[in-house]
Amino acid sequence: MRGGSIYIERSSGLHWLHPLTKVALTALCFASAAALPGLPWLLALFVGLLLPLAIWGRLTGAFLKACLLVVGPFVLSLTIIQGFFSGGETVLFKLGRFAFTQEGLLAGLTFAARLLVALGGTLLLMQSTPQPHLMQALTERGFPPRIAYVVLTAIQIFPSFQDRAQVIMDAQQARGLELQSGLLNRARLLLPMVGPLILGSVMDVSERAMALEARAFSSPARKTSLNTLADSLLQRAVRWLLALAAAALLLWRLWSALQ
Amino acid sequence: MIELKKFSYWYPGTEQPALDRVSLSIAEGEFIGIVGANGAGKSTLCYALSGFVPHFYNGETEGQHTFNGQDMASLDLGQLAGQVGLVFQNPFNQISGARFTVREEIAFGLENLGLPQSEMRARIDEALELVNIQDLAERSPFSVSGGQQQRIAIASILAMQPRVLVLDEPTSQLDPDGTRDMFTALNKLVSTRKITVILAEHKLEWLATFCDRVIALGGGKLRAEGSPQAVLSSEQMLRLGVGRTQYSEAAARLLRTKQLPVTLEQAKKALK
Repeated sequence: MRGGSIYIERSSGLHWLHPLTKVALTALCFASAAALPGLPWLLALFVGLLLPLAIWGRLTGAFLKACLLVVGPFVLSLTIIQGFFSGGETVLFKLGRFAFTQEGLLAGLTFAARLLVALGGTLLLMQSTPQPHLMQALTERGFPPRIAYVVLTAIQIFPSFQDRAQVIMDAQQARGLELQSGLLNRARLLLPMVGPLILGSVMDVSERAMALEARAFSSPARKTSLNTLADSLLQRAVRWLLALAAAALLLWRLWSALQ
Repeated sequence: MIELKKFSYWYPGTEQPALDRVSLSIAEGEFIGIVGANGAGKSTLCYALSGFVPHFYNGETEGQHTFNGQDMASLDLGQLAGQVGLVFQNPFNQISGARFTVREEIAFGLENLGLPQSEMRARIDEALELVNIQDLAERSPFSVSGGQQQRIAIASILAMQPRVLVLDEPTSQLDPDGTRDMFTALNKLVSTRKITVILAEHKLEWLATFCDRVIALGGGKLRAEGSPQAVLSSEQMLRLGVGRTQYSEAAARLLRTKQLPVTLEQAKKALK
C-alpha cells in the first residue's frame, strides 16, 4: 500500500492491464449489479469473474478481506432490515411480534450481493492500479489534469495529514491537555485539536500552490508522461466489448422494467 | 538577466513595503547570496527575482522589474517556470503529492514542460546524482526524512534546468553533509552550466566560500552589496543582525586586523 491509496504492488497480469481496461471491467460490474435479476447470477459473477481475476492478480487474500470489511456490515444490516420488515409468507423465526421471513432474507442478500459485485469491481481496480497511472490514463483521454491532481493528492496526502494531527495532539498533551478522559471531555477538547490542524493546512495551501507553479503546472505546453502505459489492440477490443456488454445489460434491464 | 530599479513591493493590506526601493542587477552565471535578519525581506526578494511577486502574490509594486529585458509583469508563471526555478524552506509543501516514487516526483515538472521520455530519464538521473539521492529513486517521497525531502525538492527543480535558480533557505532542514553536498552541487552548476544561483541563507560560512557576490537586506532595503569578503566582514552585519562567520568571529578575538577573514582559507592566512 502506498500513501493513502489501497494499491497493492504485485507482479501480475492484472497489474499489467491498461487502467482503462480495468475501468471498463468495473463499469461492467456496476451495470451487472444494477441489471442482473437475482442472487445466483450475482454470486456466479463474483465467483466466476471477480474471484479468478483477484487470484490472477495475486490479490486473493487482500481482495476478500477488503470485500468482507466493506460489504460485511451491509450484508448484516440489510438482511436484518429486509428479513424483518420487507414482508413475505415463509416465516423463518419470530422475535416478539416481528417475523423474519425467507423472502426478506433473500431480498437483503440480493441487495448485498449487488453491492458486493459493484464494490468488488472497484476494489480490484484500485488494488491493482497505481492511482497516478489511472489518472494518467484518464488525462490522456481528455480528463482535466487539475481535477486529476486534486483527486490524487487527496489520496496521497491523507497519511501526512494524519501525522500532522498526531503532532498537534502530542503538542497539546505536552501542554497539559488531558485527552485520555471520558467521551464528553474528549468532544470538548476537539476544538484545540482541529483548529490548528485546519489553520495549518490552509496556510500550507498557499506554499503548495507556489510549489506547483514552480514545477510548471500552469505551463501552456502539452503534458507528457514519464511512464508509458502498456496497451494493445486486444485490450482495446476487450474494452469495447466490456463497454458494449455493460450498455447491453443496462438496456436489457430498462426494457424488462418497461415490459 | 534580472534587474530591479527602485523596486518596491507591498503585500496586500499592508502599509509598510516588504521591499523598499531595491535596485539590483543580476548577470548570467553569478552565484549570489542574500543575507539578512528574519523579516528583512529575503523571502520577498526571492519571490520577486523568481516572478512570484507580482504574479502569485497580489499587492502593489513600484519601480522597474525586468527579466531578460522584459517587464516581469508581462510574463506568465507557466512560461517562467522553465527558466527560473524556486526552492522553498519547507520541503514537505514542495512535494507534489501526485506521484508514488521519488523518480516520478522529479518527473512531475518535466511532464508539465512536455519533455520527451528519454530526455526526462536522463535529466532525472543527473538530478538524482547531483544531490546524491540515487538510492531514494524508487522510494515514496513521503517516506523519507525532511532533509531528504528537501534534496528531492532541489532535484525536482534542478531537473527542469532553469537558467536561474532561486533558493530560499534551502539548507534549514539539511545536516552538515547535506549542506556541503548542496553547496558543492550548486557551485558545479554555476561553473559548468553558467546557471545563475541566488541563495537566501543564514549559513554565512558557506556563502563566504562559494558566492561571487553577497547582498545584505534590512527592513526591506538593500543595505550592502559586494564581495563576500567586503560585505560579511563589515561591522554593519552585526547591526543588521546578520552576524559574522565563525572565522571572522575567531579572528576578531585573536587578531588586531581591520580586514576580518570570512572563509577558512582567509582565516588560516591571517593567523599565519
